[in-house]
Amino acid sequence: MTEAIIFYLFSTVAVVSALMMISVRNPVRAAFYLVLSFFASAIIWLLLQAEFLAIVLVLVYVGAVMVLFLFVVMMLDLNIVEKESGFTRYFPIGIMLAAITFFSIYYVLGQKESGMDVFQSQPLSTAASHVEGYSNTKELGKLLYSEYVYAFEIAAMLLLVAIVAAISLTYRRRPKTRHQNPDLQVSARHEDRIRIVKIPVEERK
Amino acid sequence: MLESYLPILIFIFVGISVGIVMLGMGFVLSPHRPDKEKNSTYECGFEPFENSRINFDVRYYLVAILFIIFDLEITFLFPWAVVLDDIGVFGLLAMALFLIILVVGFIYEWKKGALEWE
Amino acid sequence: MLDLLYSLTSFLPESLQTIIIILVKIAVLLIPLLLGVAYLTYAERKIIGYMQVRIGPNRVGPRGWLQPIADAVKLMFKEIVIPNFANKFLFLLAPVLSIGTALAAWAVVPFNAELVLADVNAGLLYILAMTSVGVYGVIIAGWASNSKYAMLSALRASAQIVSYEIAMGFALVGVLMASRSLNLGDIVIGQSGGIYHWYLLPLFPLFVVYFISGVAETNRAPFDVAEGESEIVAGFHVEYSGMAFSIFFLAEYANMILISMLASLMFLGGWLSPFEGIEIIQNSSLAFIGTASIGWLLAKAAFLLLLFLWFRATFPRYRYDQIMRLGWKVFIPITIVWIFVIGLMYYWQIGPWFTH
Repeated sequence: MTEAIIFYLFSTVAVVSALMMISVRNPVRAAFYLVLSFFASAIIWLLLQAEFLAIVLVLVYVGAVMVLFLFVVMMLDLNIVEKESGFTRYFPIGIMLAAITFFSIYYVLGQKESGMDVFQSQPLSTAASHVEGYSNTKELGKLLYSEYVYAFEIAAMLLLVAIVAAISLTYRRRPKTRHQNPDLQVSARHEDRIRIVKIPVEERK
Repeated sequence: MLESYLPILIFIFVGISVGIVMLGMGFVLSPHRPDKEKNSTYECGFEPFENSRINFDVRYYLVAILFIIFDLEITFLFPWAVVLDDIGVFGLLAMALFLIILVVGFIYEWKKGALEWE
Repeated sequence: MLDLLYSLTSFLPESLQTIIIILVKIAVLLIPLLLGVAYLTYAERKIIGYMQVRIGPNRVGPRGWLQPIADAVKLMFKEIVIPNFANKFLFLLAPVLSIGTALAAWAVVPFNAELVLADVNAGLLYILAMTSVGVYGVIIAGWASNSKYAMLSALRASAQIVSYEIAMGFALVGVLMASRSLNLGDIVIGQSGGIYHWYLLPLFPLFVVYFISGVAETNRAPFDVAEGESEIVAGFHVEYSGMAFSIFFLAEYANMILISMLASLMFLGGWLSPFEGIEIIQNSSLAFIGTASIGWLLAKAAFLLLLFLWFRATFPRYRYDQIMRLGWKVFIPITIVWIFVIGLMYYWQIGPWFTH
């Protein structure tokens, strides 16, 4: 009962905020609707007993990715987008992308042998219930670092590529800025800096 | 498992409503006499002559991007640390390789000077 | 206590009854927490006062005991100024978000083996998620105020928080490798068996990194460039007044207590006694100091809070480039190296911590 209420409440929130996100004009607002949508989806994932993924969704998407989005949106001072700029132009591409996404999800979830056939009439809550002491994080870890270890290392390579790409795209050294080199500062010795000179006393003539 | 998350959900709502109630209390109890000078943005005694939302150093964006990457790394480390007992030496080596690949990225970052602030 | 509550609410439908009982538990947690925050401000002024050979607040009530209450009442009756050109909704949302996340993280903090509001498997991950959401309060406040100082400070603060969060996350991974559990209660139980079983010993560098990152995360001195009054006045909350300002203040102090609490749970054995398993004490009349109790947890947290205040009284403020250097070039390498070291310690099953 409670589960059903929570599910419908947050799925409504997720859908409505997703719609608001693409329809509001103010980019900062749109970013916040996206945050809300992520949050609601995290709660729905929790209902599916995927606690690790749900919290990681909040941690990575809300806590990190959206922070970057907000940085960009807020600092670039994007004003309210002009009315329907390019809407008709991008519409066919958007429809196409949506269709591709839909069918790929349909293809994966609809396969009988994948054990994820959601189109059967079996209710989700019994399909996902687990024995006492079940830990989603543990089950995930056991698979990820043994069976899917190859994919895991590929993820590391992707992250490496991301680091290199981010730096080479955004970073440029400005030669004229001044900055300190703490290593040099710490390793400076007083012998290098001052010289004590003995000057013989001269007698007044 | 789900029962143990119900208090968290309620706690989040309570936390947010504590904030709203306190703000509301502030609005109800305090006087409200706005005037032009009081409501103007804080500046060094003169009128703000440009929008405060100015462009910033791209470095801040770079920090945010690198943060996302490292955050993902940490989320990969969490389930690994939990199942150390089950995955044995193979798991240890798998993570060592993962970390070494990322340390290469970190060294690249360092040598490239992306971590310098001046 | 709880049984009485159950019988009192027994006429209600079951789901409503559970919710009411959860709400009562939350109140039992929140009220002492908010009182603790109030008296932490008093303690801060008093302790820093004595460190600087002053007396500190001593006018309101005996020895100034009522000072925080007077402060709260004063702030409540102060006007909340909303500046021109500020985005009103976001301006008011920012303090709500920062207190909401600061309080919500407390849901999974255990006080002893039984006393925990939400005993979830992924407690530590949840706390990390909540602290990472906490940065929104700062960013929104800075942007919505439409003030240059606020904007600058929000940028500085968020880049700083985000950088130290990485070091913090890596430090947590070290704790996880020792405990192999994300549940905070299990982490403490994994440290039982005497003071040398605490994770402080094998994870000492991580403890230092974690605690200092905590100081940086909460924007406390010496990492308080976000509010540095000499450069950018009060930082991201320069435009806030009255209750709106005090909510930011509350959130900051609640976070300080949270960091101290977590550090003592993860590294200092939580509610376990440091004298556990010493026979001379157990057989004497002082046996109570050898047993685990919530008092130990609070004492450890209080000591770490004292460190927060002590840092503030001792260190001059870091410059921003120094802060970023410390976070990225010192703390992150230390934590990564130490994760490798822990991996080896785990492999060789060193000490009482890594036997499996």
